[in-house]
Amino acid sequence: MKDFSKKIIFIFLINYIDLSIAPIISKALIIFPLTFLGYSLYVYRSNKNIGPAEGFLVGLLVDLISGTFFGINATLFCIITYLINIYSNSFKIFSYLQVCIFFGVSATAYIGFSQLALNLYNFSYITLLISFIFNILFCIFVTILSSYFPKKINTKI
Amino acid sequence: MAGKIPTSGQKILYLSFVFLGSIIFYFDFTTNSFQSIKNGYTSFKISTIFLIKETTIEPFKNFFNLTKSKENLIQENNNLKEALDISNLNNYLISKENIFYKDKNIIQYPIDKKNSSFAYSIAKIKYINHNIFNCCDNHRMHIELISSNLSSNLESAVFNNSGIIGQVITDEKYLEVILLTDIDHSIPIKSKSESFYCNARGSGRANIIICSYNPLVWDEDILLGKEFFTSGLGGIFPKDIMIGNVVNIIDIDSTKKDLEIKLFADPLESDLFGVIRN
Repeated sequence: MKDFSKKIIFIFLINYIDLSIAPIISKALIIFPLTFLGYSLYVYRSNKNIGPAEGFLVGLLVDLISGTFFGINATLFCIITYLINIYSNSFKIFSYLQVCIFFGVSATAYIGFSQLALNLYNFSYITLLISFIFNILFCIFVTILSSYFPKKINTKI
Repeated sequence: MAGKIPTSGQKILYLSFVFLGSIIFYFDFTTNSFQSIKNGYTSFKISTIFLIKETTIEPFKNFFNLTKSKENLIQENNNLKEALDISNLNNYLISKENIFYKDKNIIQYPIDKKNSSFAYSIAKIKYINHNIFNCCDNHRMHIELISSNLSSNLESAVFNNSGIIGQVITDEKYLEVILLTDIDHSIPIKSKSESFYCNARGSGRANIIICSYNPLVWDEDILLGKEFFTSGLGGIFPKDIMIGNVVNIIDIDSTKKDLEIKLFADPLESDLFGVIRN
């Protein structure tokens, strides 16, 4: 129960940050799916096997709190859970950069799908490209941070 | 690190959830059926935020605002009082009743036309000993200039919104003012008819000055309540300013009479004073 509450609070918090910074960075044609990346990191770092039901429910919750159509995040969260799980062994032989690129590409794919579903008329390849670079840089930044704070952020992303 | 690779059964489960998610999305996208849930959540969110704000932040905010508004009110009140005092001083100066300008040679620069304000200095009370003022002979006070239009304030007349109260005797950081009621002070006064002149000295009592005269020399009939004005002699005080009225007449002997004159201006009634130079 305690673990569950933590997860819920974490989702609310990260989504709040996501929604807060979105209007600011969108002026620079950047879409930064922090909730999605946070969840991906959680799945990647988790020692337990995250099932499709958890991904689906978390996605539904994100749909609810972010005010989008129900099902979009549920589906995409389910897919990323599957992808991370299927590459769980490959990640072990990946370099940091490859892992960063993987998450950057997955975040860009998330943006692309979301834009196609929700914002088709304003779909922009420039936004997608800039967001792709930004997300990879963000992942690299987090990886560098983990080198400076190895105990607190002991992560290989 | 992520767990095991999904088995075939789990893959089907993943596929099912993805399919379910897609159906829900399509359903919501086309029919907007979940709008009531979203509205319910939004309403819940707003209510919760409002409730949390009301119980946690608002009490502190209200307390802070209350303190701040109180401080602002006090400050505003002080500003208004000061503005009112200055306005009263101006009114006193331009009032026709006291004919402050009758002697135009004495008050050289009554009005600075460029700034449409009076060319006198405004001073704020710094110190006055109320006990000594009410009991003893030494009636002095210190004032601090707020705005000064004069190069030197020495021997300038000091007035408040009721009339003249004294003159500056020391021009330092704070101006020392000897009040009309100090026993070392005397002011030349006259009757309205200008047939009676005398030097009124301070009595050492609050708001009372004494005019001693020889009734054999000055034959004008002085009655209680008679008003006296500055004569302008001596060059310190302007001419024809109403000073006070007679409240007591003491017959000392056939050659000497004392008139006790109650001053109109009380130095304790205001905090702001005008300093005007002859």
